[in-house]
Amino acid sequence: MGSDFGRRRYQACYAVLLRLYPRPFRERFGEAMAQTFRDLCREHGDTGQRLFGFALWIFSETFVGIVRENITCMSHLAKTMLRAALVSLGLIMVPLIASRVVDGWNWSAGAFVRVYLLFFVTAMLYAAIARKMGAPAYKAAVCLALVAGFALGWSTMVQTADSGHPERLWYLSVLVVGLVGACLARLKAPGLALTLFAMAAVLALISVLLPSGGPSGMALRMAIGHGVFVALFTASGLLFRHASLAGLR
Amino acid sequence: MAKKNNAPLTPAVLHILLALSTGERHGYGIMKQVEADSQGKVKMGPGTLYGSMGRMMEAGLIRESEKRVDPQMDDERRIYYKLTGAGRAALEAELKRYRGVVAVAEGRLAYGQ
Repeated sequence: MGSDFGRRRYQACYAVLLRLYPRPFRERFGEAMAQTFRDLCREHGDTGQRLFGFALWIFSETFVGIVRENITCMSHLAKTMLRAALVSLGLIMVPLIASRVVDGWNWSAGAFVRVYLLFFVTAMLYAAIARKMGAPAYKAAVCLALVAGFALGWSTMVQTADSGHPERLWYLSVLVVGLVGACLARLKAPGLALTLFAMAAVLALISVLLPSGGPSGMALRMAIGHGVFVALFTASGLLFRHASLAGLR
Repeated sequence: MAKKNNAPLTPAVLHILLALSTGERHGYGIMKQVEADSQGKVKMGPGTLYGSMGRMMEAGLIRESEKRVDPQMDDERRIYYKLTGAGRAALEAELKRYRGVVAVAEGRLAYGQ
């Protein structure tokens, strides 16, 4: 009875210890590790020996593993960030060089910084989501959502800089909805499907509420552009939905 | 991603490959098999076992099989792991390397006598 209580206490402590692993590792092996510890406790209990020394060894050995996995995870993150920063630097060189060559292309330094951040965030998002890519539908949905999101962010930046209408930055709220939704959904397909549908709805709402501020020809072009973005976000949402349904089967 | 070069495997990886060479096993089963294979000389804890298995799965040496009940234990469902083709090839390459080392060592020892 007493030993059973002690065993359960060690198992509870071990479950807490396992939380120190990086999340991807914990999600992959946490349950199996807890189960293995239960098996080891039971085996050790059957021999009639005290659990303390055995638990101390397992806890120390697991702690070393936790340190090692966290270091590995951090070095992966640092490498990913460096790669994303370098890719973004390469991409920002295109408008930077073009602004020197093309007449009338006169972005401010702030615009370049914002576009660089857009490249960087897109690259980091792709890196984060790419690790979860499995089903082709999920992969296609991610690509479509990122391309549409990036194009929307880019065109908003350019149009705001060119037209001097800061209210157009409202379009960036669509991307904010996407980022918050992706975090809340933890990149799972069902949640991402809802997020993409919400992005399409928010974009449609802004398009209706926000006046174009230009001549009718320009308003028509903007309406068509918005329609394309809404269609892209909706298509991405449908692909995520397809991926989630395929996962259930 | 299989083993990129012919660098020797770590002892933990070699023992896990050996344990899985005769069939699918769950984590605790691998531990017990490693202990039996090494006549009790190698005791692998969960930190080493699952850390190594994570890297082996990324390298394509092993993969998860399925979740099922071990008939010899309780009624808990366990995740089983199995060798891949790349894992078996890595094990065979490592054993070949070991045979080479043993042949050299025996030759040297015979020369010294």
